[in-house]
Formats: sequence, structure tokens, C-alpha cells
Amino acid sequence: MELYIGGYAQGKLEYVLRKYSDKAFIIIDGARDYKEIEGLKQQNGIIINHFHLLMKHLLAKGENVEELFEVFMAEHPTCIIISDEIGNGIVPMEKAEREYRERVGRLLTYIASKADSVERIICGMGQKLK
Amino acid sequence: MIIMVYGGSGSGKSAYAEWLLTTLAEQNTKYYIATMQVLGEEGQQKVKRHHDLRAGKGFITIEKKRDIEGIAKKLSSERNSILLECMSNLVANEMFTEKGIVKGSELVRKIMQGIEVLSKQAEHLIVVTNNIFEDGIKYDETTMEYIKALGRINRELTSLADSLIEIVVGIPIIIKSCKEVEKCGL
Repeated sequence: MELYIGGYAQGKLEYVLRKYSDKAFIIIDGARDYKEIEGLKQQNGIIINHFHLLMKHLLAKGENVEELFEVFMAEHPTCIIISDEIGNGIVPMEKAEREYRERVGRLLTYIASKADSVERIICGMGQKLK
Repeated sequence: MIIMVYGGSGSGKSAYAEWLLTTLAEQNTKYYIATMQVLGEEGQQKVKRHHDLRAGKGFITIEKKRDIEGIAKKLSSERNSILLECMSNLVANEMFTEKGIVKGSELVRKIMQGIEVLSKQAEHLIVVTNNIFEDGIKYDETTMEYIKALGRINRELTSLADSLIEIVVGIPIIIKSCKEVEKCGL
């Protein structure tokens, strides 16, 4: 498993696709492919892009995202996860927004601890963290 | 020595700071200065999570939402290691008082003096501080003043500090290094 993290519009997906230009991927876009994540048969070659938006959607539905992802990671040990860094701002006024930031942060920290590699993307460049 | 631990919300900076202080402190008396004003159930849950993290690590907890210079007299006269968590709450508490809003420049000076007093009595002073600077939102004037004040403190403190460590998804990135931190084996 690999994790790529960074701010908005830093070229994270582009970076990953360039790095693995010889490979084919199924890209799940967290901004819209909510359904595809469940019962995904293919084990390898999976990228989850906009992981944070997928979490936002699942949290709004009241899902146990931590448990859900534990299962997903076990079934897809080679997957690539790409997420925006969303915790570097003023604490939001709304409780749901605060919970979203906090839980995405903690889940990403957990995923990072399990991942084989972690990179932060800044201006299209990769900074190896793990 | 002063060490800054910097990161966003949910980045794992507390867990890291506690680990670092425990590793550095050895036989020293360990203090945990909690600056958060506990409000409602969410605040209590946050306190409980942090409390569980520290459990069994032998910290003496001091709750102090502002006026950190006042803590000095409570500390032991022997060797101390202090973890202050966190600067973003302290700045908010110093800024938004019952008497009104305190000017940024004034509270920056006050907090820096407080840190100086504490650091004289601590072999290690770890300050946990927040990255609140990267959401690109233009807030109201008061919030912008708060962001600027925290940014100013982070800069002034880091120039004084021996080390600055950024935490990203639980992983430490050394921005400013020193021997003691390197020895902890990151």
C-alpha cells in the first residue's frame, strides 16, 4: 500500500501516474465513485483518488470508516491512496466539519503507519516520508 | 532546550510530542501543561483521548488556559521536562478574554515572556503548535489577527528553539535539527 498526501492542486494524481507510467490502474474518484469501493473484485492496480472526499461522503452517511477501511486495506494490499491534507486550517465552526477533519487525519495517520511508502506532494514534487 | 512540534489537526503531533518528551526526560520530573479550555462533551472527549495517551507515562498535569508564567512557581526545583499543549489554544485564550479582545502584538509579547520564564526552569520544553495556515480562506478581521499572532509566535519561538519538527500523517519531518533530537533516533 502507498499513500500520497498534499495540498489541493499539487499534482498528486499526475505524480503517481507519471511515476507508474508503465502500469494500468482503475482510478476510483472519491468525489463521485462512492459505490465502486464496495465489493471491488479487482485486487491490484487500484488508485483511490480524493480519499478525503470519499471519507466525507461516508461520514455523512454515518458509516464506520475506520472499520470499512481496515477491510478494504486487507483485501487490496497494493492499493494506492491519494488524499488532500485537510487539517492545516482554522478549526471549523460546525461540529460535523471538525469531526471530518479529525477522523480523516487519524485515519490517514493509521494508513501511513501500515503503508509501505508515504510521499508528500508539493508543487508536483514528491517528498519521501516513509 | 526548546523543541517545537508542529502539525495539522489529527496529524499525530501529540502522540509524537509525548513520546519525544518521555524519551528525552529520563529521570526528570515530567509536566504536561494543558492549555485547552474544556467546553462541552466534545472538549471532554478530547481531554479523555489525550489523558489516555499519557496514561502510565508519569506526567504531572497542570491545567492553565492562560498566564503560563504563573506555572513557574509550581515546578519542582530539580530537573524538569515540560510539554506544553498547545500554543493555538493558549493564543486563543490570551486573545479572547472576558474583558475583550487583546491585541496580537501585546499577547505575542506576553506569551514569549511566559515561555522564557518556563524554559529557564526546564531542561526540555516541548511546545506543541498548530498548522492553521493552509486552508486559503480569508476569515474576518479578528480571526486573521489570531492567525497572524500564532504565526508570529511560531516564528519567534522557532528562532529561539533548538529544533522544529513537523508531523505529517504521524511521520516526523525534521525542519530544524539538534543533537538531542537526533539521538532519539527518528
